[in-house]
Amino acid sequence: MSKTETRANGKMRPPVGQSVPRLDARDKVTGAAQFADDLQFGPGLLHARIARSPHPHALIKRIDVSRARALPGVKAVVTGEQTPGYIGLYLQDRHIFCRDRVRYVGDPVAGVAAVDEETAEKAIELIEVEYEPLPAVFDPVAGARPDAPLLHPDLGQYEVASFIFPRPGTNISNHFKIRRGDTEAAWGQCATIVERQYRVPHIQHVPIEPHVAVAKWDEQDRITLWASSQSPFAQRNLIAKALHLSQSQLQVIAPYVGGGFGSKAGVSMEALAVVIAGAVKGRPVKLRLTREEEFFTTFVRQGLVAHFKLGCDREGRLLAMENTYYWDAGAYTEYGVNMTRAGGYSGTGPYDVPNVKVDSLCVYTNHPVGGPMRGFGMPEMHSGLEQAIDDLAHAVGLDPVQFRRLNCIRGGDTVATGMTMHPTGLPECIDRAAEAINWGVKAPPSAPNKRRGKGLAIMWKAPAMPPNAGSSARVAFNEDGTVTVALGGQEIGQGAFTVRAQMAAAALGVPYDWVRVAGPIDTNYSPYEWQTVASRLTWSMGNAVKAAALDARRQVLEMVARAWKESPDDLDIVDGQVVSYKTEESRSLKDIVIYGLPNPDGDGWIGGPVLGRGNFMPTYVTGLDPETGQGPRAVVHYTTGAQAVEIEVDLETGKVEVLRGVSAFDVGRAINPDMVKAQMEGGLVQGISTALFEGLKLKDGRVQNPSFVDYRIATAADAPAHIESIIVEVPQDDGPWGARGIGEHSMVPTIPAIANALYDAVGIRLDAPPFTAEKVYLAMQAAGIAQ
Amino acid sequence: MVTPHPGLPEFDYVKPASLAEASRFLAEHAGEARPFSGGTDTFVRMRDGFWKDKYLVDVKHLDGLNTLTFDRAGGLTIGAAVNLNRLSAAPEVRAHYPVLAEAAHTVASYQLRSRATLAGNVCNASPAGDTVGACLVLEGELLVHGVDGARREPLTGFFRGPGKTALKPGDIVTALHFPVPPAGHAARYLKLGRNAIGDLAIVGVTALGYRDPQAPSGYRFRIALASVAPTPLRAAQAERLLAEKPLGEAVLREAAEAAMAAARPIDDVRGGAHYRRLMVRNLTRQALTDVWQRLAS
Amino acid sequence: MSLHRITLTINGVHERVDVPSNMTLLQMLREKLALTGTKNGCAAGECGACTVLWNGEAVNSCMVLAVECDGGEVVTVEGLAHDHQLDPIQQALLDAGGVQCGFCTPGVLISARALLDRNPRPAEAEIRDALVGNLCRCTGYQRIIEAVQAAAQADAPARA
Repeated sequence: MSKTETRANGKMRPPVGQSVPRLDARDKVTGAAQFADDLQFGPGLLHARIARSPHPHALIKRIDVSRARALPGVKAVVTGEQTPGYIGLYLQDRHIFCRDRVRYVGDPVAGVAAVDEETAEKAIELIEVEYEPLPAVFDPVAGARPDAPLLHPDLGQYEVASFIFPRPGTNISNHFKIRRGDTEAAWGQCATIVERQYRVPHIQHVPIEPHVAVAKWDEQDRITLWASSQSPFAQRNLIAKALHLSQSQLQVIAPYVGGGFGSKAGVSMEALAVVIAGAVKGRPVKLRLTREEEFFTTFVRQGLVAHFKLGCDREGRLLAMENTYYWDAGAYTEYGVNMTRAGGYSGTGPYDVPNVKVDSLCVYTNHPVGGPMRGFGMPEMHSGLEQAIDDLAHAVGLDPVQFRRLNCIRGGDTVATGMTMHPTGLPECIDRAAEAINWGVKAPPSAPNKRRGKGLAIMWKAPAMPPNAGSSARVAFNEDGTVTVALGGQEIGQGAFTVRAQMAAAALGVPYDWVRVAGPIDTNYSPYEWQTVASRLTWSMGNAVKAAALDARRQVLEMVARAWKESPDDLDIVDGQVVSYKTEESRSLKDIVIYGLPNPDGDGWIGGPVLGRGNFMPTYVTGLDPETGQGPRAVVHYTTGAQAVEIEVDLETGKVEVLRGVSAFDVGRAINPDMVKAQMEGGLVQGISTALFEGLKLKDGRVQNPSFVDYRIATAADAPAHIESIIVEVPQDDGPWGARGIGEHSMVPTIPAIANALYDAVGIRLDAPPFTAEKVYLAMQAAGIAQ
Repeated sequence: MVTPHPGLPEFDYVKPASLAEASRFLAEHAGEARPFSGGTDTFVRMRDGFWKDKYLVDVKHLDGLNTLTFDRAGGLTIGAAVNLNRLSAAPEVRAHYPVLAEAAHTVASYQLRSRATLAGNVCNASPAGDTVGACLVLEGELLVHGVDGARREPLTGFFRGPGKTALKPGDIVTALHFPVPPAGHAARYLKLGRNAIGDLAIVGVTALGYRDPQAPSGYRFRIALASVAPTPLRAAQAERLLAEKPLGEAVLREAAEAAMAAARPIDDVRGGAHYRRLMVRNLTRQALTDVWQRLAS
Repeated sequence: MSLHRITLTINGVHERVDVPSNMTLLQMLREKLALTGTKNGCAAGECGACTVLWNGEAVNSCMVLAVECDGGEVVTVEGLAHDHQLDPIQQALLDAGGVQCGFCTPGVLISARALLDRNPRPAEAEIRDALVGNLCRCTGYQRIIEAVQAAAQADAPARA
């Protein structure tokens, strides 16, 4: 590598490492930023609504759409007859519109396109469907039994990714196992064993922007899909495959996303809009979900029933773990199977434990569709695990923080899948979080009817994705020297565009405000990006953008070197100027990046329009043995961290108030420190919300609380008075400037941190979140401490 | 499966020029016309498909509905269109009927309080209504304009069930009137929601107390409970206790237990009956303690 | 269903619009006037993404009929800046890093502006109370609260 490239590569070069302002924020505060529902389509726009199953499980005997079709203003009605293909990301297990049966309350059975939403809504009410209800499954443990009603008889015929292991003839669409060491023998050596069962209810992402998609299908079968989407390329791919089209026929355009948290990854309602558009060729059709539909008809976070058995020796060293996870994954598990897998291979939590047995089962239930949600199985799993760890610590007589210091995974350890853990700052995260919360010191309560407590929890998460998920990027210039970065990852609020602009500026050597990011993402023009999920963009797309910027830089330096008859090694780009360290000559990038330079040796020109390209795809992830879960490299890397909270419990009402929350996460390298902290703050509060308020109340498959009235999320009055966010940096070997992701991690350990604080405060544990005032009070009453 | 519509269903907006015209219209279209002011309950129910009125009659601009007046003899008259923000900020209300301002301020959010009205809250007759308890303990009455002209409706007996009141087709509430409250009274509204603030009342307790030399204990209390019965409830037995027995921590606790016994909550998606009953007891005790301490000082 | 011809002032501009009875102020702004800065998050008066100033008061525009606004004044997020100068609350939110996905932002700005207009020096508890009807899922609210505090300071010299 050349001297100058080294200079650009390793060191933190501004604006990398600086808390520069977001490049999209001004548009967002003026109302100029465009989201999918803001796009204007003119008077030809039609509006769609969806007829949905009222039954959790039923055969469709008959659909009669004739009255709907006849309603004035209705342009088309489609059903599953138009969608024979299967669709899915890791497992193709669903039709876009149901064909022979429905599997959850809300399953789409027909779609209407009409001149306005209200007409479409009226048409929906005129669609007659005759159902034959079938026995349903509402619990994953029951659903995993061999005698349970079978939700997907064709499971054995579904196309499935090679690393997913379904059990045809059952409701288990993935069973991931870890068998390492000898847990049976190890129990005999344990001084203390703790067994716990824990339930986590379904929750929903609650993006403030509901899903919206507009589709247009023209006479030549070219389709344009505008959507609030985290995954334009994946949506193109999955929808094209399901409709037996070429990916080149489908163009997905994705403007700013008003919150995704995973709900807008993969494909959910977008395919419905496309199919409906196919029935009104040439007219754009908009499908918007109501907030009520948002709660249960796209993706939800699946429920979990977890059994933990943990054992340690007299000194508190973990000897064995036997964890079984039953994921209540819902009606279709095309995405959920991978959460199961991730919950499996990370199923020990961030601990060094030699004997491990993990069974992670993805179970079909007649519940809303489980899909990717911030944390991807990690919050669900850590919720119970980190409480069990606390219990084990208490049982063996160790302080819970000390127990974690003793047992947490460190660089060089072997994790449960056999992979060697890379260097990680988890021990430092534990220390700093404990210090910041003033661990071990209990402040007096604010009133006689209150009790205070502190709790800490740790976590880890790896980007969960196929082994060959790739990123690509282009860097191009304008005549005035400004830079356009083309990329395929989405700005969903996490700051992806800003951080990538910083990376391009640093790698190129131009000021931050010279860099633009080309948006909206458009699969016709933007370079490929697998999906905006998994906290992978800073690392993966960052690598691609950095490579593209370095490629552009190399082209510029080679061109100028020829013109100046110098070695490119002696040149650099600083603040948008090409400089020679040898002759101290310098010139601006303006114009030369488009027009090249005159040939110094006579007539002619050298160079031309500079176009940098780069891509990144990890090549080292290996498969895992289906029986043992062992393999050399299960994942690309882990982000680890710790969270600690101080709470106050009201003995008269059961209300839990989080007074202070501290997060410490190892992000490898903070490209924009302030934005990293913003992720930690937002994740903490979302985590608090899931710990204290959130749960989809499912009864016989029906969500009882699909509205903000009865699905409460944290408001400005619920956010803690004191939030502290600590950045730990142990660089990732193949991350750009050492960076790895942080988007999801900060809401992973919050539920158990609060649960552990609750135990510290009043000595009780609940079997499931949310820790509502009612549940806390009744538990305190049962324990004889309520007032 | 009934799910909320994306937008409001079709209806005709009617803006009558006078109360008489409004009453007439409502009576003539009984069952398919509804008066509205802020719309915060009306629009939600229409979108949800529960109310299917063909006509929504805007009454908030009509004579007298926007005025708020107080005089030391007659008391407080709050026009039916006065929004809750204006109500809770009004100096007359804060000075003489502070519990009304307090309760109004706990409703939902600032944005909704810009639209929601006291009259609307009362006519909505939700057992969870935050302001209804204050209206009851302050002995409010409704001024109603109907097809037969104006009349007064006392609040006791006004509530017939969740969403059901004594109003008849053609009735428009024009104002709420509150007599001058007992001199030197103290009152408190305590509410339990699922979040810190902004939620519906899972349980609501309004307690008002004042010195009364005629009472054996020297005090009288009025206690109203929300969200624990099909209609807002006065805890009569608790009130009796507090009038008869000399006040102290033990008697306050006894009164709280009596309030709990009067409560008949149900299990619903927001909370369980058992917890609600216990919270009636705890919140009543807290509210009574707070009121008594202020009276005693 | 009847159509109503209404006139009103929006962000200082006189507008005349024909609206059906059941059209909300939010729908009118977004669909008739292409003022898409104000957002639809729930259509039920719960999330606050649709907050606008109507005759000076912060309201959920999804809970107001367009026809009710006849003769009135509406200010949306597009009307906060003047002559390309951001309102102090907009600048403060930028400076505090209180914008992530941006969907709640227009409603938050209007609620904050309305708060500072009626209470120029709000205590932290009053800020939280004023913003309780603006749901945010991204930021955790801390920086939004800091921004309102900073804007209150920034407003202060102008009021002296």
